[in-house]
Amino acid sequence: MMATLEVKDLHVAVTDEETKGQKEILTGVNLVMKTGEIHAIMGPNGTGKSTLSQTIMGQPGYQVTQGDILLDGQSILAMPVDERARRGLFLAMQYPAEIQGVTNAEFLRAAINARRPADDQISVMAFLKKLDANLALLDMSESMTERYLNEGFSGGEKKRNEILQLLMIEPTFAILDEIDSGLDIDALKVVAKGVNSMRGANFGSLIITHYQRLLNYIVPDTVHVMMGGKIVKTGGPELAKQLEKEGYAGLRDELGLDIQLVDEQH
Amino acid sequence: MDLTTAKQQLATASATHHEPSALTKRRLAALAAFKTLALPKMPKLKFQTWPFFERQPNLTWTGAAAFDLAPALEEQVRLTQVGQVTLDAHVPAALKDQGVLLMDLFTALQTVPDLVLKFLMTVVKADENKLTAHHLAYLNAGAFLYVPRGVKVTAPVEINVTQDSTQPHQPLIHHLLIVAEANSQVDVIQHLTTQGDAANPASLMVEIVAQANSRVTFSSLDELGAQTVTYFKRRAQIGRDAKVEWAVGMMNAGNTVGEMDSELIGEGGEGDSKLIAITTADQQVGINNRVTHHGQHTTGLINQRGVLLGQSRLVFNGIGEIIHGAHGAKAEQQNRVLMMSPATRGDANPILLIDENDVEAGHAASVGPVNPVQLNYLLSRGIPKPVAQRLVIRGFLAAVLTAIPTQRVREELIAILERKLTDGQA
Ligand SMILES: Nc1ncnc2c1ncn2[C@@H]1O[C@H](COP(=O)(O)OP(=O)(O)OP(=O)(O)O)[C@@H](O)[C@H]1O
Ligand SMILES: [Mg+2]
Repeated sequence: MMATLEVKDLHVAVTDEETKGQKEILTGVNLVMKTGEIHAIMGPNGTGKSTLSQTIMGQPGYQVTQGDILLDGQSILAMPVDERARRGLFLAMQYPAEIQGVTNAEFLRAAINARRPADDQISVMAFLKKLDANLALLDMSESMTERYLNEGFSGGEKKRNEILQLLMIEPTFAILDEIDSGLDIDALKVVAKGVNSMRGANFGSLIITHYQRLLNYIVPDTVHVMMGGKIVKTGGPELAKQLEKEGYAGLRDELGLDIQLVDEQH
Repeated sequence: MDLTTAKQQLATASATHHEPSALTKRRLAALAAFKTLALPKMPKLKFQTWPFFERQPNLTWTGAAAFDLAPALEEQVRLTQVGQVTLDAHVPAALKDQGVLLMDLFTALQTVPDLVLKFLMTVVKADENKLTAHHLAYLNAGAFLYVPRGVKVTAPVEINVTQDSTQPHQPLIHHLLIVAEANSQVDVIQHLTTQGDAANPASLMVEIVAQANSRVTFSSLDELGAQTVTYFKRRAQIGRDAKVEWAVGMMNAGNTVGEMDSELIGEGGEGDSKLIAITTADQQVGINNRVTHHGQHTTGLINQRGVLLGQSRLVFNGIGEIIHGAHGAKAEQQNRVLMMSPATRGDANPILLIDENDVEAGHAASVGPVNPVQLNYLLSRGIPKPVAQRLVIRGFLAAVLTAIPTQRVREELIAILERKLTDGQA
């Protein structure tokens, strides 16, 4: 069955730690995604891409001041993060937490079972079979699953582990926030292979990246450009290539936007 | 009751129980000391008014309440006690032939009095404090385990003690004496439970004599009832190149003051003291976990982890003491408590008392709530909050849990833990 994730005129503010004042980050984001589609979001540093992904997932600290997020037409704003995850949302973290004493395998099983009814928990055999297949796909050693969750994992291993979770949990919509940062070229291909293996009618993904290169491996259906807390342009994969060539300043000027980019001289 | 009457009562009760007169004498001396000594010291916990003993203590002997007991298998080494009665004490023939003894303490005092009296209350002295004095004076239950020189007991020695609280005025004053002679080896698993809901105190002592080059592991699952106020004192005297490992799961539901001691007497001895405590409801618990280095090149490790639920209070004092002359000693300790609700109060105090220069000493402590970043990560994968909290707690306890030598104890401890957490969260 086709599922839809819809972000409607979303305004999000955060509380500034120092001034205690509210700071508006997202200024009216509109986005519709369906399963079967891969969307990419690109945009300059500090423009609110991570804020958007965290807000969709329901992470604490982000206040929605206007607009809505709908999953299959139903607002999810009131749902806590764990419920959103059980409804099929997944966010690959930029900085996954380390948890000593909890093995990766134990964690994966708990996460899978959380999405299944109490009387239909995954069997040990089925779990191991699935785990082995996905480890092989991601070129990960079996020993990684008996290690404590992310503890002492290298940056690249953590990213791979996020993708392993994606493959094991099989969410409906996955948001991948800079999954390519800090990955060597081989790891990048492996991660792309993992995401591509999920592609299909029951899966949609929102990929946030700074580098067009990732989009050569995971070819998106739609590319959005975000600037100043909203989506300013939407197009096909060629839009990413255009950005790579011309940079954000070019696009901004073309659109006649009044936005200061982080790395510009004041 | 004045002292004279109390002494008479005690002497008569001891005599009717056919105890060696040397024991009666020691009881009477302990009684005198009990009247004057002060309670033990436990930094950060107020327990002075707890009912550790009856207002008018007296020594009595009662039979056992009804109890279901599966017969021991031939290879099992097992002693089962309910209240003051020993229901079974089973030692495989092969171990008996090697001289291993496992029996009721008072039976041992009649059959091998010299052996028992040589060690009883020598590791812990009766006149250390009011509660140790009370313990010997009114001692009313116990067990004796003896492993002769060079004997290695490979099957775990199971000691199951059920406090009989089906009636009031039945304090359990239980003493486990373990003697591991030179080059011997033994693993002991103690399990403490309470039957009945009457409010009775428990005074529980374990003395371990670990002679040169012996290996002793002592695991204990303490599961005494909510109405039981407990004082426990467990001490090992660790000889040259001997090693004693403690693994205690303090899962009592009632108020508890506990003292763990490893006395590293001989050169090269090792004491490893691990303890997990879960406190619930309005329970109050304080633990002094002490390692004292007398001998040179001794190693002492303390690792304590506590989880506080409800409105409970838990104090961990880790005490590492290096006596002058204990060159090359190594003392490490970790005391950590996890507070699952803002209404709980936890303390973790590392105390290092060092009187020698060429030693190594280190400590780590933490007191606080569940790490929100960790919890949130689990939640964001759809794991419901109660399950996520249990995973984080399991992770927190893992360092101590995984070190418990026997898998069965580990599993039982996890099962108790899960039950407490489920009840505590409900
Ligand atoms: N919790 C917070 N407190 C204060 N400011 C915040 C908070 N979260 C985000 N911001 C600010 O919001 C803005 C957008 O941040 P966000 O992380 O969403 O940007 P981004 O588009 O993901 O940038 P990058 O490409 O660098 O990852 C930044 O100026 C950031 O400093
Ligand atoms: Mg970002």
